[in-house]
Amino acid sequence: MSDVEETSREFKTDDDFDKDFFKNIERKSNIWACIQCGTCTASCESGRWTALKTRSIIRKVVLGDLSVLKDPDIWLCTTCYQCYERCPRDVRPTDVIMELRNYATKLGNISPNHRAVVGYLKSTGHAVPINDAIKKQRADLGLDELPPTMYKFKDEKNSDLKKIEKEMFDLPPIKEEEKDIKEEEGE
Amino acid sequence: MGKENTFAFFLGCIMPNRYPQIEKATKYIMEKLGYTLLDMERATCCPAPGVFRSFNKFDWMVAAARNLCIAERLDVDILTVCNGCFGTLQEVNKHLKENEEHRDKVNEKLKLLGDYEFKGTINVRHIAEVLGYEVGPWGIEDAIIRKVNARAAVHYGCHFLKPTRIREIESSESPTIIEEFIEALGVKSVRFKEQLTCCGAGGGVKAYDGNASMTIFSEKMKNIDEVKPDFILDICPFCHLQFETGQDYLNKNKGCNYDYPVIHLSQITAYCMGMDQEFIGLQYQLMGRDYIFGGEEIKKGEEEAI
Repeated sequence: MSDVEETSREFKTDDDFDKDFFKNIERKSNIWACIQCGTCTASCESGRWTALKTRSIIRKVVLGDLSVLKDPDIWLCTTCYQCYERCPRDVRPTDVIMELRNYATKLGNISPNHRAVVGYLKSTGHAVPINDAIKKQRADLGLDELPPTMYKFKDEKNSDLKKIEKEMFDLPPIKEEEKDIKEEEGE
Repeated sequence: MGKENTFAFFLGCIMPNRYPQIEKATKYIMEKLGYTLLDMERATCCPAPGVFRSFNKFDWMVAAARNLCIAERLDVDILTVCNGCFGTLQEVNKHLKENEEHRDKVNEKLKLLGDYEFKGTINVRHIAEVLGYEVGPWGIEDAIIRKVNARAAVHYGCHFLKPTRIREIESSESPTIIEEFIEALGVKSVRFKEQLTCCGAGGGVKAYDGNASMTIFSEKMKNIDEVKPDFILDICPFCHLQFETGQDYLNKNKGCNYDYPVIHLSQITAYCMGMDQEFIGLQYQLMGRDYIFGGEEIKKGEEEAI
């Protein structure tokens, strides 16, 4: 009797699933059609050189294994769309990985470098801001020193940039463990 | 659909803030070809599909819709020169035109950013598609004053053609649009192993894990080096950045000795249309600073006689 009980505990129950998450993924992709053929992994241009195994990620999602949300590998996809193009079951693995990343971000699983990029967008309107050398280069080429983008208008009255900073891409605060690591590195 | 022969010129981030020579070249060719380019004042980052879409897909759509609204006000189609910007703007534009529920939600949030409302009245174009299909190799012949005799390693990048069902330009497995166009400029595309693979920069990987990005890139460079092209030809400033900084990184850290000039399609087209090499701006780039295009002037009179 006890053996049976032990075994049954290993199976996932309804409580282990995050229903909203799966509903969302189901709505935005075709994940239940996956037959684990491996075309995605075979086509993966990142996975050839990194630990990213697309097929295994898809399988984990289907089985409700939420450890994928902490898996650093989901951030190694270059979104080249090779798997998306070639998947015979139209699972759209790139979209699945995008959903996983969105969800991971909500949980605070986001790298410091990516936080920095969000910071650039909020403060300058650009993911890659301008610098003095480029301003000079632009002038040498006969272009305006500043391109007519948001950054040029950042200080105007009622500037859109302040609204973008306030309303867009809110990230959860840095987790305590990460803060500790950062402080140690700082020393 | 907007006015004919006029585009709202979407700059993005890397072109104006790292490679303004591509911006210069694009303005030069489009104006010479009889197009008018309008400034998109207050445009932001597209926002980049690799990073910002990964963090919050909804906000990514809202920020993209804001940029689309700026062009809708000008009542013209958008022209991009970057696969990333094209990817974001084309995809969001198409999605919001088709999906009423998302359009309403996006418009709701857009109100927080100012007087914006996405209407879905314009299209988004990429310079490679405008040159390749609208101007065409047949049209550029009349506009160029010289041809370069060069062999180029053509890099398509990922988001110009893929996902094919959204982009609807041509097959991503064996595209020919760039090859056919540059042949008119006297540039021969040399085939190399795994030509259509990713440069390794996209998807936020370059920021997330520089080493992984360089590992993917080093294989790409090895395959390019095997065929010894005169230069690498790309259609995306982010790939451009990866090819530039990547070669530099491999030279400094992995004992390589690469010096392949990296040239955007706009730059080579501008040169053939008569722009001075000085403005092509290789002197500002990391690789192939001493490269001289050379080539032959076309003597129009003689050609007509034949």
